[in-house]
Amino acid sequence: MADPLAAMAAALSIAGTGIATAWAQKVVGGATVGAMAEKPELFGRGLVLMALPETIVVFGLVLGLQLLSKVAGP
Amino acid sequence: MLSPERMARALIVGPREKLESVIGTLHDMKLIHLVDHEGEDDTFGIGKPLPPAAELSDSLLKLRSIANILAVKAPPKEIEAVRLDQLRERILSLELGITDEDAARKKAESLLGDLDRRIEELEPFAALGLPLSAYRGYETVAVVVGRVAREISEVDLGDVPAEIFQASGIVAVFTTKDSLDRLLHVLGQFGFAQIDIPAGEADPKELLDAALADREKWRTRLEEFRGRLETLREKYAAFVVAAEELLEVEVDKAEAPLRFAVSDHTFVIDGWVPEKRFHAIAFPLEAEGMYVESEHSQAEHEEPDPPVLLRNPKPVKPFEFLIHLYSTPSYRELDPTLFLFIAAPFFFGFMVGDVGYGALFMALGAFAIAKLKPTSIWFRLFFVTAVGGLWSVLLGLLVFGEAFGLPFHPAPGHLEELSWERFGIFVPMQAVIHKAFGIGDMIYLSILFAAFHLGFGYVFGFVNEMRHNKKYALAKLGWLACLFGLFTLLTFSLAIRPSPNRIALWVWDTPLGWFPRAIQSELSAFVGLKIPLASLILIFGAFLGLTESIIAPIEIASLLANVMSYARLAGIGIGKAAIAAAFNAAILEGFVLSGQIVLIIVGIVFLVLAQVLVFFLGWISAGIQALRLNYVEAFLKFYKGNGTPFRPFGARGTQEV
Repeated sequence: MADPLAAMAAALSIAGTGIATAWAQKVVGGATVGAMAEKPELFGRGLVLMALPETIVVFGLVLGLQLLSKVAGP
Repeated sequence: MLSPERMARALIVGPREKLESVIGTLHDMKLIHLVDHEGEDDTFGIGKPLPPAAELSDSLLKLRSIANILAVKAPPKEIEAVRLDQLRERILSLELGITDEDAARKKAESLLGDLDRRIEELEPFAALGLPLSAYRGYETVAVVVGRVAREISEVDLGDVPAEIFQASGIVAVFTTKDSLDRLLHVLGQFGFAQIDIPAGEADPKELLDAALADREKWRTRLEEFRGRLETLREKYAAFVVAAEELLEVEVDKAEAPLRFAVSDHTFVIDGWVPEKRFHAIAFPLEAEGMYVESEHSQAEHEEPDPPVLLRNPKPVKPFEFLIHLYSTPSYRELDPTLFLFIAAPFFFGFMVGDVGYGALFMALGAFAIAKLKPTSIWFRLFFVTAVGGLWSVLLGLLVFGEAFGLPFHPAPGHLEELSWERFGIFVPMQAVIHKAFGIGDMIYLSILFAAFHLGFGYVFGFVNEMRHNKKYALAKLGWLACLFGLFTLLTFSLAIRPSPNRIALWVWDTPLGWFPRAIQSELSAFVGLKIPLASLILIFGAFLGLTESIIAPIEIASLLANVMSYARLAGIGIGKAAIAAAFNAAILEGFVLSGQIVLIIVGIVFLVLAQVLVFFLGWISAGIQALRLNYVEAFLKFYKGNGTPFRPFGARGTQEV
């Protein structure tokens, strides 16, 4: 493990994006369940909206992996 | 298979006096999806319900109220045969008998409620012991009664003139009317909550005893009423269920003219019929003297879309509910059931990747086929899982070499690892990927599956858009190129690393051997990554998306996110295997292999519990994620949905033809 700062940066990028995703999904999820109680056929659209914030954490993951490969690589 | 059943528009015209018999025929055939007639003009208006409709609905209403009173829920084991002509009479007499019982029960219940309140009111006063007449009728003395948190004495009240009576938690304070305000203020500090003094003069203890006796008496009576209703339920449940079913059908028929166009002498029924079955509906009606016209629905884009009846081969059929759950396909797009049938169980199998659990899932499927009705939701759920189980067995046997979280053989270089060999079971198959040590391989495979899955999504999208808008179809091709560019880029970057991923290296050298290898060095230096020029050009295929929307190229990043999202396949696969391995290691080494008989028995119990837990965890997480990859990542590339499911007149519940 070469650079502890880079490793911490990788951890931070995952943690930050993870929290952001969780927060966004909390908001979307609550609203979606509410909407589905009224109109169950909204399931499909609700699920898609629910999954959109996951993009954030995926980017965090990519960034984290990039950082780690810079640290561990030659 | 890939497109829904073709529909033909049917117009049935006939003389009004034949309406009832036509409704009967259509209802029995269960083939026509009615289109409601709307609007009125000089000749045609909305039809009126058939004469028996009012009486039938009234009977149905009464019957439902009876079913409600009797609390008839599940259908009884044997259904009674009922006849329509006797129905009304039986319902009326049943209602007569039951409403009396029900009224008596309700009266008893409300009386008991009153008594409960009365008892609650009297209890504190009975504890204080003073007759009720002692609390009222004074000229200068005021009384307050209430609950307090702790005992209080006259000292606590300071200079307020007062006399105190108390029992546990209850206090009655007598004071002068002038000091009442001060008293309440002081009492407030002890958490005093005032209660009303009940009406009456007598001794509260006696009143309480009388109320308690009353309550006992009414409770026994209520039990009697309930018992009688219970007997009635047992006696009539079969009748109620059968009659309700029959009446629903009859009401449905009697009210059908509300959906037709009717003039003084004729009626017109408008609806959709599966094209192949058109003759099945036309012949019997024409024999009755009706005029039946068919209109094929292809070119007219103006009129509303026909209803959608999916047609898939038998093994794919149970997957249709997963499509309807998301959204019914529209009539003019490809039916994605087959797409889902291939992708979802494969992803499920990849994530579970274990012979043991896979076999259990297949056993669930076998149970469903043997014991459950194909229309029940559990049948479909178990069947879908079983197809995933089949993949799981195949992949577990041929790729992962694992059963119940325990590998067939220890991984090379990790000979201390527990495996089936320790129990004397030697499976000839060798694992191609050891889940615990092949994280890189698992992630690369996820990317590979993403490329195929999303690629087919774009192909489907291309086909859908070709029927609709050529420019959008071009955009789909652009996105397909972009996806391929991203895939080659990812493969390349994993293959050229100092420690290359073996699968990526193979893909890069063999199936992608033809791919141009030129690297644009200035750009690579700028980005900091080596990028094959051809990949870069392909990625810019996304700019064809400009025909779709001006911001389309920004979506390249979200396509990359979509591809990375498939890493969950690897993540859950490894995660589930790790949980199972941890349980196995702890329980097998700690208990089962200890050699002491008691520990072995305890260990086996633990082991079964742990395996059941992992089984359900795997089922839920792998199932949800396999569906989600289809619903979110893939369906967004081509699937619009929003169709109307085909509901033939006369069918109850789900579609059937």
